[in-house]
Amino acid sequence: MKTNYINNLIGTAIAALMVFSVGCERPIDGLEPAQFPVEPNVFIDGFSAGLEYAAFGGSDVSAFEVVDEGAYKGTSVMRFAVPDFDNASGAYAGGAFFVPGGRDLSGFNVLTFWAKASKSANIDILGFGNDLGENRFVTTITNTPVTTNWQKYYIPIPDPSKLTQEKGMFYYSEGPEDGRGYTFWIDEVKFENLGTIAPRGGGIFNGVDSTVTAESGAEFAANAYGLFNLPNGVDMRVEASAAFFEFFSSNPSVASVDANGLVTVGDEGEATITATLAGRAATGSLAVTSTGAPVVPRVAAPTPTEDPADVISIYSNAYTNEPIDFLNGYWEFSTTLSEEIQIAGDDVVRYSQLNFVGIQFTAPTIDISDMTRFHMDIWTPDQTAGASFKILLVDIGPDGTFGGNDDSSHEITLSSPTLQSETWLSIDLPLTSFPGLTGRGNLAQIVLSGDLPNVYVDNIYFYDDGQGGGGPAGGAPEAAAPTPTLPAADVISLFSDAYTDVPVDVFITGWSEASLADTTIAGNAAKIYSDLNFVGIETIANQIDATGMSHFHIDMWTPNATSFGIKLVDAGANGVIEGAGSDDVEHQIDFIAPNQGEWISYDIPLSDFTGLTTRANLAQYILVGQPSGTSKIYIDNMYFHK
Amino acid sequence: MGPIALALLALGLNSCQPEETQQLPERNWSLTWSDDFDGAAGAAPDPTKWTYDQGTGENGWGNQELQYYTDRPENVALDGEGNLVITALRETFGGMPFTSARITTKGLFAQRYGRFEARLKTPFGPGLWPAFWMLGDNIDDVSWPQCGEIDIMEMRGQQPNITLGSLHGPGYSGGSSITGSYALENGRFDTEYHLYAVEWFEDRIDFFIDDFLYQRITPEDVTGEWVYDEPFFLLLNVAVGGTFVGFPTSQTPFPQQMIVDYVRVYQ
Repeated sequence: MKTNYINNLIGTAIAALMVFSVGCERPIDGLEPAQFPVEPNVFIDGFSAGLEYAAFGGSDVSAFEVVDEGAYKGTSVMRFAVPDFDNASGAYAGGAFFVPGGRDLSGFNVLTFWAKASKSANIDILGFGNDLGENRFVTTITNTPVTTNWQKYYIPIPDPSKLTQEKGMFYYSEGPEDGRGYTFWIDEVKFENLGTIAPRGGGIFNGVDSTVTAESGAEFAANAYGLFNLPNGVDMRVEASAAFFEFFSSNPSVASVDANGLVTVGDEGEATITATLAGRAATGSLAVTSTGAPVVPRVAAPTPTEDPADVISIYSNAYTNEPIDFLNGYWEFSTTLSEEIQIAGDDVVRYSQLNFVGIQFTAPTIDISDMTRFHMDIWTPDQTAGASFKILLVDIGPDGTFGGNDDSSHEITLSSPTLQSETWLSIDLPLTSFPGLTGRGNLAQIVLSGDLPNVYVDNIYFYDDGQGGGGPAGGAPEAAAPTPTLPAADVISLFSDAYTDVPVDVFITGWSEASLADTTIAGNAAKIYSDLNFVGIETIANQIDATGMSHFHIDMWTPNATSFGIKLVDAGANGVIEGAGSDDVEHQIDFIAPNQGEWISYDIPLSDFTGLTTRANLAQYILVGQPSGTSKIYIDNMYFHK
Repeated sequence: MGPIALALLALGLNSCQPEETQQLPERNWSLTWSDDFDGAAGAAPDPTKWTYDQGTGENGWGNQELQYYTDRPENVALDGEGNLVITALRETFGGMPFTSARITTKGLFAQRYGRFEARLKTPFGPGLWPAFWMLGDNIDDVSWPQCGEIDIMEMRGQQPNITLGSLHGPGYSGGSSITGSYALENGRFDTEYHLYAVEWFEDRIDFFIDDFLYQRITPEDVTGEWVYDEPFFLLLNVAVGGTFVGFPTSQTPFPQQMIVDYVRVYQ
């Protein structure tokens, strides 16, 4: 629980949960309208004029309180109670003290305060410039050590001349230490102008002279810090908004840079981005080599030829695409930019600065249980030798949400020589190539990553090639069920290539909750029941007398069923299914957690069907699957034998 | 450089009385020796004026100091802009964890009485110990502290706003020296040039910072023999660590520089 909150805090609009203000009636006569008040005090023995407080979202809003006990100086002190890990009222203590009207801080060079804690700890975040709005001039120190003794702390202002109307006076965020909460106190918070603080310059791009090669349109954001020597001779580094710095480009047409340190790559050529902080040259730079306009494929990707009926498409002009959430989630730490362009009239997704990017479809998720192959066309202008390109498929399971212990995923990696520069590569893989993707009913993401910064993507779809091959966890078994070996004389078969089957009325009754498909697996016929809750198979017209039989046999293969049940119904001497109270008898046996992705041969003694007290008029065979309505089973070799 | 005159002075003192003024008698000084450190960047200081103390001395120059003094331009050189730069580096050299430099006028120049001044910016950081000082020219005959020592400027890098001026002599050397300090209430000695001087007379030594007299030591003030009636030579150095300043920490910024604009001696 260290610095994780930075990204949550900055730029997050948060409701003002607690608002304090201290009435300080200032005469407004004679004030210059454009002047902001020069008020150094933030908290001395109470809130200074105009100061307000708001707790951060997700924090324990009761963490902060002004108390009249134990002040460093004067009567009152700010007390911050950091909650325990998993505290119900909030995971951390955090908030911002701000002045909605703004103050002129340009005459000060440091924010100072005194702090102590109930135990030695490191406060994750302390700083100023967080105004719950633009947060233009945020300045932060991290992991600040506090002890049980009062100590003075300094947060130098990177360039005071910028702060002529600053609203963010002070902010903090601190989580539990080793899971446990504690208390710290802060007093005498004020801006000062101290000659004992020596500016030592600043840095951009981590203070490193870095280089990057990019195409036109690429963007890079500068990070920044200021370096100061404190009155005790020790250096302090403060994380600073890039807006404190003045940025320069040696060749703005090749790489421009704005006031917030955002570099945009332009024409082909070379340029170097540098900066100054308060007139001093900053350490670090970014040397940009622009390769100019993006290298674009000259021809469209090959047009897919699969039958649309066999295709579930994510992105292709050849098919009707499923609804998707986005082609780029702009996730944290992702540098990937994306746009849709047309090549020879064909829509293509262009990813640049790709480190990783997510394509997501959760509304709804996509069921690829019936699909056997994954297809995607990619084109890259980048050198592929030594490079890799990864494709991750993510299924979020029946709960339809990320997490929850039912997610599954699998990532494959492509490399040279499969990867080729400046040519369309059709990636077409059996889903068996993704064995970790054990669920396929709720596919939600395709995540692309690797070290090809520029990738054009088209024709992302799943399809059924009719050859099975969906793999262990996918729609279909690769091998046929074991061929029965019992002599035909000992068997009454309802469904098997190995025997002559008796007449069956129907393999799916009208009242079933399932759908049936006939398929062939390695040349062997099989039944597929999808979206299964239960399915009825009937031999009412030709009832089976199994009194001479000892076992019921069925081969079953499932990609996803967590329970499989078999119910046998005997119509009784009258040969009519009448239900309860009649001479019908029945019995159901459930098999919990059957092995998925492999053929299971159930060979069940009829004596196990204890409720099946008569067996001369077998007329119904009901198969039950869970999860109800989404399970899928393959069936073969259904017979009685002795 | 002709005679200069000291006139009315108005400066802040650490007594928190910034309006205090000093009225000192006017006095005419004439320049007898100086170095403005003009020369090419990277050049060594004028060998007719300066010589080097190298190595580790005995027991870290008597103070358990941690640096190895060299005459390499990395440690001592002109900067091409009229300054001498002594640089302390964090590097293993000669078995020591730091290098630096110490230059002296011993054998080249010494003077009894007069005004001795240097305009310089100090280094900073815990464990840094810069000094502009003098030793009795008879040190090889009578040894220290009998020879006497006048510290015109020394400071602890962890207190970059405090400068010390001291006398060491027989019976009052080391920790029992006669010393006075001058603190900038709202400033530091490393961020700007300051002028450090002593005016040495037969009956007293006056210590100045930026021509503000902050300490006067007379024979009555010292707890031993007054040995300041022989010629003294000059020293400039940056020590690292030792008993006076304490040891540098991992947080001490390196490299550290003492930048000397000029050294001037008047009679």
